[in-house]
Formats: sequence, structure tokens, C-alpha cells
Amino acid sequence: MSISRRKFLGWLGVAGISTVLDKRVYAASNKHFSGYPDSGGVLYDNVLCIGCRDCENGCNQVNELPQPDKPFDDLSILDNKRRTSPKAYTVVNRYDGIKDAKGPVYRKIQCNHCLEPACASSCFVKAYTKTETGAVTYDSSVCVGCRYCMIACPFEIPTYEYDKALTPRIMKCTMCYPRLLKGKLPGCVQLCPTEALTFGKRTQLIKTARERIRKYPDRYIDHIYGEHEMGGTSWLYLSGVPFRDLGMREDLGITPAPELTKGALGSVPIIVGLWPAVLTGMYALSKRKEKIAREEKEEAVATALAKASAEAEEKLSKVLTEAEVKNQTAIEGAVKKALGKVADNQTKEGT
Amino acid sequence: MPRESATASKTVLSSFDQALKDLVKALRETFISPFGFVYIIIILLGLILTILRFTKGLAGVTNLSDYNAWGIWIGFDLLTGVALAAGGFVTSAAVYIFGYKKYHFAVRPAILTGFLGYALVIVALNYDVGRPWRMPYPFILQQGTTSVLFEVGACVVLYFLVLFMEFCPAALEWLGLKKLRKQLIKLTLVLTIFGVILSTLHQSSLGSLFLIAPSKLHPLWYSSYLPIFFFVSSVFAGFSIVIFESALSHRFFGDKMDEALQKGREDLALGFGKAASLVLAGYFAVKIFGISVDNHWHLLGTPYGIWFLVELLGFVALPCFLYAVGVRDRNLTIIKWAAICTVIGVMLNRLNISLIAFNWHLPSADRYFPHWMEIAISVFIVTLGIVAFRIIASMMPILHDHPDYND
Amino acid sequence: MKKRRSLIGLAGILLTVTIVFIYTGRAHLAQEPSGYSKGKRADIVTIDIMSKFGPLERSEVMFLHDLHTETLEKKKKDCTTCHLMEKEDPSLPRPARLSLKFKRHKDLDKQEVMDIYHNECMACHKEMSDEGEKAGPIEACGECHLKETNVSSSQQPIILDKSLHFRHSEANKDTETGEGDCALCHHEYNKSTKKLFYAKGKEGSCRYCHKMVTEENRISVRLASHQACVDCHRKKLDQNKGKTSGGEHVAGPVKCSGCHDLKNQQEIERVKDVPRIKRNQPDIVLIQANGRNPDKQKSTLKMNPVPFDHRAHEQYNDTCIECHHESLDSCTKTCHTQRGSRDGADIQLERAMHQIDAKISCMGCHETKQQDKNCAGCHTFMAKNRKHIESTCLVCHMTPSGGGPENGQKPEVFAGMLLQTRSVLKDTYSDEDIPEKIIIGELMYQYGPVEFPHRKIVKTLVSNIVDNRLAGYFHAEKGTICQACHHNSPETKKPPNCTSCHGRPFDEKNPLRPGLKAAYHQKCIGCHEEMNIEKPSPTGCADCHKIVGLPQL
Repeated sequence: MSISRRKFLGWLGVAGISTVLDKRVYAASNKHFSGYPDSGGVLYDNVLCIGCRDCENGCNQVNELPQPDKPFDDLSILDNKRRTSPKAYTVVNRYDGIKDAKGPVYRKIQCNHCLEPACASSCFVKAYTKTETGAVTYDSSVCVGCRYCMIACPFEIPTYEYDKALTPRIMKCTMCYPRLLKGKLPGCVQLCPTEALTFGKRTQLIKTARERIRKYPDRYIDHIYGEHEMGGTSWLYLSGVPFRDLGMREDLGITPAPELTKGALGSVPIIVGLWPAVLTGMYALSKRKEKIAREEKEEAVATALAKASAEAEEKLSKVLTEAEVKNQTAIEGAVKKALGKVADNQTKEGT
Repeated sequence: MPRESATASKTVLSSFDQALKDLVKALRETFISPFGFVYIIIILLGLILTILRFTKGLAGVTNLSDYNAWGIWIGFDLLTGVALAAGGFVTSAAVYIFGYKKYHFAVRPAILTGFLGYALVIVALNYDVGRPWRMPYPFILQQGTTSVLFEVGACVVLYFLVLFMEFCPAALEWLGLKKLRKQLIKLTLVLTIFGVILSTLHQSSLGSLFLIAPSKLHPLWYSSYLPIFFFVSSVFAGFSIVIFESALSHRFFGDKMDEALQKGREDLALGFGKAASLVLAGYFAVKIFGISVDNHWHLLGTPYGIWFLVELLGFVALPCFLYAVGVRDRNLTIIKWAAICTVIGVMLNRLNISLIAFNWHLPSADRYFPHWMEIAISVFIVTLGIVAFRIIASMMPILHDHPDYND
Repeated sequence: MKKRRSLIGLAGILLTVTIVFIYTGRAHLAQEPSGYSKGKRADIVTIDIMSKFGPLERSEVMFLHDLHTETLEKKKKDCTTCHLMEKEDPSLPRPARLSLKFKRHKDLDKQEVMDIYHNECMACHKEMSDEGEKAGPIEACGECHLKETNVSSSQQPIILDKSLHFRHSEANKDTETGEGDCALCHHEYNKSTKKLFYAKGKEGSCRYCHKMVTEENRISVRLASHQACVDCHRKKLDQNKGKTSGGEHVAGPVKCSGCHDLKNQQEIERVKDVPRIKRNQPDIVLIQANGRNPDKQKSTLKMNPVPFDHRAHEQYNDTCIECHHESLDSCTKTCHTQRGSRDGADIQLERAMHQIDAKISCMGCHETKQQDKNCAGCHTFMAKNRKHIESTCLVCHMTPSGGGPENGQKPEVFAGMLLQTRSVLKDTYSDEDIPEKIIIGELMYQYGPVEFPHRKIVKTLVSNIVDNRLAGYFHAEKGTICQACHHNSPETKKPPNCTSCHGRPFDEKNPLRPGLKAAYHQKCIGCHEEMNIEKPSPTGCADCHKIVGLPQL
């Protein structure tokens, strides 16, 4: 097949450009996002938590979620460990028998509203937004339902309405973003009787948490969970017992999730840029090899032909010369014979 | 002039007529046959389950949960499907870029396998994704360019178009549209290069999908080299699937294969087998380096470590060795088994990463095992592919050259 | 054919490699030790004596001592089966005892020690197994030198408190003279003659000399206590064998679990009112900043001294070592001087007395006493590192009347005088001054008003502490106990009410101050939890207020 160079390069250009769709891919940098200024957060202190489930109630009411089978003041439900579900953006779990704990310890589970959320990074249709209030919101009007966010979230928070056939949505805590915009508190924070949930600016909450630890070093573990985990979260935790005893993973590291895929995404333009050159080069190489092979073959054929024709010519001329000599002899013989015959005839007539 | 075009369009019409006749014949051959009955049952079941899926939602047909968002439709249909459809770009690259003209006959079957493979991936996605009619949204509404999945989606769509365009000449020959076919043939090299670029991108990106979840994937399988592992394994998966598919075609479509294909089979198996052995060896080496870099040797003694070794030794090292022996001894049977072993190995690797070694830390009550309906739908989708391959291969010049064209 | 064989051969190699990996992986799983019971035991002795000679070649052995003692008992064998008797040494103030080492007196040579263990242990095991009895390991190294076991130690340290000490000294008294035989256990070491001797009047805790590890000649407290205690018990039991009809207490335990098992410890008989140990200790001490100057007539008091009732404190504690942690001398004599000294690890007197998180200091001990449920309701929420108000200091550091002791007056007498003048809580304000019920009617959305039984609570709090001298001194002012709830304000008869300071929650300017709702709940629920009050329970909302409406969101 033949194609002009210009056309070829033209096609390549189009091919290349159409694969590089994001022009703002940052190369590996030392940028660190520490939250929008004045962004809010919630500090959950399980030393103050009494496991009353008023927070679950508040969340259920504010978000108009369906009523559960057992009412919120039925604390027997704490006998089982639960996780977030499409009908419960937040749950409280009770942990008994933890070493050195004076009684049962509670843990409230909900979206941690990370500073650099894995869900937002992984969503290919930008359904998640890290808002300036600190809340990570979800837009169900664009969600395709690929559920990659559920794979990505290290805290295993997003839940999916699998039982809905045509309008399934991701369901997760929204930090009551609409209420935050009106200056109100999130539903769970509003109803907590002991202020185990404190709402405020994230930077201030960290200071408050440090102060609580400083004041009561024997009541708190000296660590604010969420200060640095996965690059930092807006929901911070203080605990009186080691976090891992409550099922909170302490091995998540401090690398924010988007950082984990930055390298792979950054390699896309490199491949798009280099591969055409490399592959064209291989093509050129193989073409050149073919050409050389062809030329060598032609040369070999030509040499062989030339040799053969030379030989043939020689043979021909030899045969021709032979034939001519033969001819000549034959002619001379015939002439002689003819002359002889004429002489004979003359002699016969002369007498 | 008008008279010429009248004749030309008459030829086209007559070709269309012939094409339709071919289609009916192929359909009859496929479905009215001993195995055809099985196809019909599977397809009927699949259609019923499809209705269930879209009336009862994912909860009605799968065992997916909030802990396990991706099941075998992603692990098998998407990940394995894409890996095994790599035969297309591997073969066309070998022939058009690296100049292995002697495998030319293998390009069309490989492209068809690839094309159908990607088509089936898109079909499977329509089942798995919550709102499949919204799949164009990332491209037309909001581009989530921080997401690896965006890049996967874009490349898969583009590559599907490339495959379609590479497949078209065969269809156009069948339909008798000579001019269009000629134009398309001119694009072969560009499409091939484009195809290799896109394949590199999306094969590796399928691995990159899991980079975001280090806390959920077992450390022996999680590595920052995941994209490289996925791409390299797709290369030998491609070689192996072509060898395997040529063996199958020989068995089931032997009558449709032309002489070039029949004779070239052995050469193809040897050549691709050699290449696969080499790439498998390289892959084995980088896997070992991956363990070494993170110093995970001690994990090899754990139960998951044993499983990892089964995958690595039994389905990477073993086929590498078998290929080498088969090529040296020119033994097609060994090569065929090596191909099967490699294909199973790639499937095992994808299933390990997406389902088995994923969420390994969760208690067994929260782990995932597919619902029989999920398996049935996967079987249905694969069956659709097989049936389509059959029909197309018997109608169109895939396994043989069209007598009217010889370029 | 040849090719197929080589194929099979290599496949076989791969399989073998995989199986080897599986087995090396399994080796990490805990092995089931033979004859060992799972769970917690108090008699685990870790035999790692070979670490003295270099790094261990095999893991240490978990030796179950009571198991062996009981087995030998059944065979009518005693401790001398394994432990050798020391030679009698007349210079020692105590009789010869059994060596604590296994079948030897000294650890001389690495090979010798190892051989002793191996030969003797295995010989006995073999003997028993030959007789058809269940015995320990005989041959396999790994059966004793286990990598991982599923037994763990439940050993609790045993403290010889004053009750036990009294029982011991009574048991060893000379029945005629009534003189105690302190030399049985108490001795000192003469560095020049390198001999032990008994110094009367200088008896102290074993731990003053015998530390956690053996140092050269001085054995660890563990070895010392086992030698002194267990061997004496053993001798007594031996002597009285057959003489008692059983049931009478002859001596203490010889088995590990007898002392170190928690349940057994709790069953040790406690003497209720232990008579005071006679060790020439003072009744009352005047703790002064600049130490005593016996030559001067009038001690130069540089700041308010602390009259210290030593005798009363003896009653409050079970051992002397709780305060006298290094010796029975006065704290300031050589160690915790005002300016600090090397002997006292540079811990000055101030810190020794006041370090609030050290239980061994005065304030530290008082702080831990506040963990009692009568105190904890309020005191848990007072941060340890709070700034103490001056009036608290003056409870101990009493202003000396007349500037100091009179001429010739002994400091102790002066101290005793001061102590008499220290005020203590007797009762609280009269009923008219304490409102009986407070109706807490703010924030009524979901819940109705709370009828708070104010007077009842005040009276309960007062009655809880009025018998406790420590509490009584620090709550001498009637208004102090009101500060339990009316906190962060001065001590007064009319303290501010909660709503004066607590209002809107999450005030940026006062981040540590809860809003009104949380102020009530944290204070009330917190106190109830610390005081172990069951009703009203923390989550029993209706116990305090009736539900009247919906939550305000």
C-alpha cells in the first residue's frame, strides 16, 4: 500500500491529539493540598460518645431516609457490628472488652470527607466534588454507576442501591452540605447530646483535639485519626483506646489517593508521544530490511541472468559458426557437383 | 458515464443479494446443528436474565455488595476479555509494523476475535454498570480526567473504532463495496500504529485501576508496576489466544480455511510460540523483581503466597517452558497446551487481582462469590461472541481470501 | 520419548519446589506442644540460661514448673529431686537453702550446663515413659525448644504487704520471749568482709538491695524471694509432715500458682487491723525546706512547712516501699534534697513531693485516691496538669503560727500542734442556702424540662466524703464541693449557674467550652458514669426528661 508522507503524518497528528484529552496533567510534583481555607470538619470523640444513636436519627431525618425496622433508641442493635448501607449514611458500633477500657467503646462510621478524596479522583464523570465547606458531595444526575469509587475508597464507605433497576445511586454521608450552606449544623452534630461530635474549621478542630489530649493524656490515645491518613480527612477522630481495636485501619499511610494513580496517568502522554516514533521506526526498519533483501535478491537474479545469457550467446555463436561452415561446405559440394554435372553434360553433347 | 455507474450499482446490488443469501446460510448452519441447540438455550436463558437484570436491578441477579462492588462481569468479562482480545493488535503489529508478512493470513481472524472481544466487553459493561445509557456521559458531559477509568473508557472506545475499521475491509469485500474498501485498506498502517498505542494505554490502565486501592489488594499482587504487568501479560495473552483460536478454527471451521491458512498454521504456532516464550520469561523476571523491590519474600510462605506461586510457577513459568520445548521440537500439541495454559493463567491473574486477592483482609462472610445468574450471563455473552464469530467467519473472507481481491 | 521424559522431569521439579514452599509456609504455624495445656498458666519458667554464654542457638524452653512439682508429688518425690542443697555456712545469718538452679550450684561451663539439662531432663522423662506414664519429650529437640506456643503467662507479682508481713513475723516469733526472728529474712551485706550479717533496727524491704536483675554477687529479687520464701515454706511443710491433721495452715505455698495465680492471691487471708511495725519510725514529721539543723535552737523556716502525719499514712498504705522506694530513710536526707543530688537522680524535693503523675509523690498518690468512685465523678474531669489554686497549697503548707517552733521545741511537736489546727469538712451549708429542686427548662424541643434534685445531690456528695480525711482537708471550705458542678469560678456560697457561661455550641473563641446541652450532658452523664450510678443510665434519656416533641433539626 502506498501513502504519501504528508498524509501519514497528518493522520498521526490527529491520532495523537485525540488521545491526549487532558491538558492539565501535572507531572510528579511536591504539591500538597491541605484543604480549602476555612473548610469545615467534624471532630468525633469516642471518649464522650455514649452510644445513644441520636446521630443516626438526625441523619435519617435530615436526609429523609426510610425508617429502619428497629427505632433509633433501641440499643440492642449495637450487639451487631454494622456498616454504612443505602439506608444508613452513618452507623454507630459498640466494642466491648477492649483491653484497658473501662466500659464499652463506641465508633461512629460515616464518610470521612477526605481532603483529596479517592472517590473524586476515581470518578470518570466527575460526580464527586470536594466543596469549599469541606463536604465531599455526590451528584447522582451524572453518575453512570460504574462503582469505581467503591473500589477506591480506603474506608469502604460508599454504598450502592443494587436493588434499584433503573435509578440506582451511590448513597453516602454528605456532611449535610445544603445545611452547611445555610449556616446550620450537620444533622448528626445537631442532635448529639454530649458534643462527642464537634463541628468547626478543620484547622481549629485539630487544635482543639490536641488540647484535649494535652489536658487528659491518660484518657486519650495521642493521635488524631484523620489528621494525615490518606492525605488528611475532614472528619477527625479522638479515641480512648487504640484505633485498630475499633476496626479503624492504621495501615493506610499518608499518601493521598490521587497521588497513587498520578504516575500511571502521567505516563499516558509519554506513550502517546513516543510510541508513534518507536513504531514508525520499527516499521521503517522492517521496510528497509525488506528493501535490502529485495535488492540483494534482484542483484542475485540479475547476475545469474547475465551469466546465463552470456553463456547462451557464446553457445549460439559457436553453433552458428559451425552451421555456417557446414553450410559453406555443403554449398561448395553442391556447386562442385553441379559443375561436374554440367561438364559431364557438355562432354556428352560435344561428341 | 451513467451507463457505467448503472452497471456498477447493479454489481453492488447483486453483491448485497449474495451477501444476504450467505447470511441466511450461515445462520442456518450455526443454529440448526447438534450444538446449535445448546446455543439457542443459552441465548434464550441470557435474554430472560437480561430482563431480570433490568427489572430487579443488580441485586436480583448478582452477589455484589457494598464491600465487593466489582464481580465477575468486571473481573472476567472486562479484564480477561480485554486481555485475551489483545490478539488483534499483536498480530497486526507483527505483520504490518514488524514486517512478518508470512503471518498475513492470521491477521483477519485475530482482528475479528479482537473486534468481537471488545464488542462483548461493551455488552458486558451494559449489564454491570448501574445506568448503561449514561455511558457516553464522561465524554460528552463531564470529563473526569483524574480517573484512570476515564482513560480506559476513552481508549477502549477509540480502539473499538480502530478494530471496526480494521475489520471492515473483510465485510466490504463480502458486500462488494470495492471503492470504500480500497480507501480503508490504505489506512492499515496508521490504524495498526494507532491500535498499538491505544492497546498499550488501555491494557496498562486496566492494571492502573487497582493502583488506587493498595489497602485492599494483597501485597503480593499490588505493585506500582501493575500497569506494566498488565501490558506485558496482554502481549503473551494475545499470542496465545491467536494460537488457540487458530487451533479451534482448524478443528471446527477447517472447511472454510484456505490453503494459506492451513499450511501457515504450523509456522504461526512456532513463530508466536517463540515470541510468547520470550515475553513470558521477561514477565516472570519482572514479577520476581516486583517481589524483591518491596521485600515481600516472607509472604510467599503464607496461604496467599502459595496461591501466588501457583499462578506464577504453574501458569507463567510452566507455559514459558512448554512453549520453548514445543518450538524446539516443532510439536504443535505442546504449543497448543502451552497456549491454553497461558490463557488460563492470564484469566487467573485478572481474577486474582479483581476478586480473589482483592479484599483479602475481609472476613469470609464479607467475601464475594458470583451468583449463578452472573455466571450464566457471562456464559451468554461469550456464547454470543462464539456464534458471531461462526457466522462472520463462514460468510466473510476471514479464514480465506476473497477471490476478487488479491492485494 | 526422551523429550516427553524431560518434560515430565521438569514438571516434577516445579511441583516439588511448590510443595517445599507450602511446607516452609506451614512451619510458621504454631505447633501443638505435647502435653501442654492451652491458655494461661502462672508457672511458666523460661529456661534461657544459655544466653549467658552467647546468642541462643535454639529457642528458649517454656518449662511448666507446677506440672513437674505435681507429677513428682504423685510419685512421692520432693524438690530435692531437682534442686541441690547448699552447703551450710555458719557465717550466714540464715540456714542453708536449696539452690534454685537445676541440679547444680553454679553455671560454670556452657557444655556442662547444657548437658545437665539435656541428660537429667531426658533421663527422667525416659524413666517415666518406660514405666508407661505420660512424660515429656525424650529425643526431638523441637519438642522442648518450641518456636511458638499457645500457653501464656498469667503470673501476677506477689506483694508482701503489711498483713502478710505481720503473719510471717507472728509465725516465726519465739513463743516464750515473744521476740521476733527478723534475721530469718532481713540481712545486710558487709562489702569489706564480703559477708551477710543481720543489723537490728536497719531492716528494710528486700528490694532496697535486690533489684530486678542479678548483679555480680547480688542476686535478683526474684531469686532472693524464691530462696527465702519458698525454701522456708518447704522446710516448714517438710518438718510438719504428718504432724497436722490437715486444714491447719502450716506454711505458705511452694507451688508457683500458690503465690502467683490471681485467684489464689485473692484467697490469701488478710489481717484486718495490722499492729504497727516497730522500726523506730516517727509519728509526726515536720517537712521543712532546708532540712533539720539539730544544733540550732530555732530552725530557720524559709517557707511554710508541711506537718506530716506519718503514723496515719502508715495506716493508709499496705507497704512502706510505696513511699520509701529506695530506703527507709527520710526523703531529703541524701537523695531528694532541696537542690537535688546525684543520689536522687537529680530529682529535687519539690518534684519528689509534687509530681502529679508519679504515684510515689505526695500529690501523685493523693491524685490516684481521687479515682475512688466517690471522688471520680468530679475529679476525672479535672485535668492532671491543671494549675492548682493557691488555697490548695496552703492545706499542706500550713502557715506556721508564731513563725516557727519555739525555742527548744522539737519540730515534731510543733508539727503535731499545726496538725490540730488544720480545718476539715464537717457539714455543708444550711438547707435555706441550697435550692432544693432546679427546673432545667432550656432547650425544650424533643424533651421536656428536667427536675433536678439539687439539694439531694449536694448532700449526697458531702456525705460521701465527710469520713475521708484527705477529702475533708481539701474540701474544708463549704463552697469547694459546689465547684464540682459550678466550676471555673471562685469558691462561694452563691456560685454562677450553668447558663452564665454555656450557651451556643462550637464557639470559635472558646473551642473547649461545650454548648449548654453538652455542658449538662457531659457533666451529669460523666459524673454518673464515673460514680457507677446505674439509673439514670447514660442512654436512658427518659430517665431524666420526658419526650414531648420531635428533635430540633
